[in-house]
Amino acid sequence: MRLRLLAALFGAALVSTAIACEHGEALDASKMPENVRADYEVFAHKCSKCHSLARPLTANITDDEQWVLYVNRMRRQPGSGISPQDQEAILRFLRYYAADLRRIQAEKNGGAPVPAHQNQSVPVLTPATPAPPAPAPPASAVDGGAT
Amino acid sequence: MRSARFFLVALATFLFALAALIALATPASAIERNFAGSAQLDYHFVPTVRSAKAFPSTFDGFTMEFAGKLAVDFSERVSANMKVCYGCHGFEADMMYFDIRVADELNFRIGRFSPSFGAFNLRHDPANHRLSDKPLPYDMGRMLRMRQWNMSVLPSPFPDNGLEIDGTKWLGPSVQLDYAAYAVTGFKSDVRPLDIDFKLSRSPQAYYVDDNARPTFGGRMALTFKLGEASDLTLGASGMYGTYDPNNDQSYLIVGADATLRVDKTTIRAEYLGRRTELSTADRTLFKYVVADERGDFTMKHGAYFEVEHGLTSELDLIGRVDGMYRVGNVEAASELSRRSSVFRYTLGTAYAIERGLRIKFSTELWEFSDRDALTGRKLELSMHTALAGSF
Ligand code: HEC
Repeated sequence: MRLRLLAALFGAALVSTAIACEHGEALDASKMPENVRADYEVFAHKCSKCHSLARPLTANITDDEQWVLYVNRMRRQPGSGISPQDQEAILRFLRYYAADLRRIQAEKNGGAPVPAHQNQSVPVLTPATPAPPAPAPPASAVDGGAT
Repeated sequence: MRSARFFLVALATFLFALAALIALATPASAIERNFAGSAQLDYHFVPTVRSAKAFPSTFDGFTMEFAGKLAVDFSERVSANMKVCYGCHGFEADMMYFDIRVADELNFRIGRFSPSFGAFNLRHDPANHRLSDKPLPYDMGRMLRMRQWNMSVLPSPFPDNGLEIDGTKWLGPSVQLDYAAYAVTGFKSDVRPLDIDFKLSRSPQAYYVDDNARPTFGGRMALTFKLGEASDLTLGASGMYGTYDPNNDQSYLIVGADATLRVDKTTIRAEYLGRRTELSTADRTLFKYVVADERGDFTMKHGAYFEVEHGLTSELDLIGRVDGMYRVGNVEAASELSRRSSVFRYTLGTAYAIERGLRIKFSTELWEFSDRDALTGRKLELSMHTALAGSF
């Protein structure tokens, strides 16, 4: 009985793994505009030290101000290794990500499809150097998950 | 001692009132709230388990844990966290605290929380760590023969009521210093204790009240060194001291040291915990061995783990862990343990992210006990876990 139950569990796990192997924990950086990638890498590394990246990615926080408070709170966790410079990069990425989430939500709510990253209250990126040419229609970071 | 206690109570009351005032004074629209949760369903298969179901010394079969958490930011300086979890003991308050931050370097935490000890506890939520089981020094009931061992050195999480002062500071561009100092209720037991009663310690039946009105004090210091863009090293040391019986006669001291090295997608963790627990020798007939007049009134429990976790792909993690405990000292007359007992465990596991926020965990564990099982005579045991863990 015990063995059969275990076999069934393993079986179910394998099947679901096979079905779901298109998805993963992280985002696919290659689908992001080039100027977001470096910030994403900082986010992906720093924010996966104590928990999976899914925690921030599925938190559904779309408000930039809330991200500021959140990242501050996480930076202050003991041993976070998140320096004030890291925090800036992480927040730049999260603004981009939140804008993408807002766009998707607006589309779902039946509002006029909003072009990606134009409905944010703050710029997606705050480049120190002259702004690079706007990325050709940026792919969604949200639903273009890792392969 | 009395005046120190009065000062602590007065400080905690003042801070609590301050936090409540700030919370009430903040317009509702300015408050940021986030709800999060996690769950793990684990199947623990133990082919070698003995069949004493009436008083199981191992939880095999299914176990379910889940938790819901509300994080509220009232302002940049005041936040609150509330987490309720469901596990072996039913529903429990894992977090109910306010943080009042004067600066990054000075934060007051008041309410119910796990005081800062060691490195693992931050990751105790099953959606945060990659194996089904916690490391042995922190085990809270999944280990084989858990009743014989009275669980681990410091079962995690260890939420308690009290006050913590903590902070973080970057010393230059590559060194982060963290500190914490706290006074909490402390662990509990009955009047003539032979060890801490972990079940009573976390039981909400007594409405989480103190049993001896003397706080347990403790603290932690840690340094994190940034070694490169994708690598850092954290070294920490922790300690906790208090009494645990209602008469304030028996003390416990827990010390810990931890190291975490992260290099790109590989994380290596090592931790040591040791607990010296005084026991009541008033009734010597309770013991299995003759109570020595010298050094016969305490036990030592050591625990350590060494773990390597490697992200093979963005979905698949491989984990290897060696952990163990070593207990020295007298035991209850009926105990299956000896004066010196050890357990070692060797674990190999994988965690696969089938969806963002949902993982399947597999692991196989080989156990090596120094004592024979009273029924089966075994020293070696095998167990396997399959779990589905998710966060939202
Ligand atoms: C030093 C450890 C640590 C690091 C690094 C860290 N977190 Fe967390 N995070 C935690 C802990 C602890 C929790 C609470 C988990 C629990 O409920 O047990 C948490 C929970 C969360 C949650 C879930 C909601 C909640 O409040 O519980 C989100 C979202 C989150 N973190 C975002 C982030 C982001 C974004 C970063 C990177 C900037 C980050 N974390 C880095 C420790 C960390």
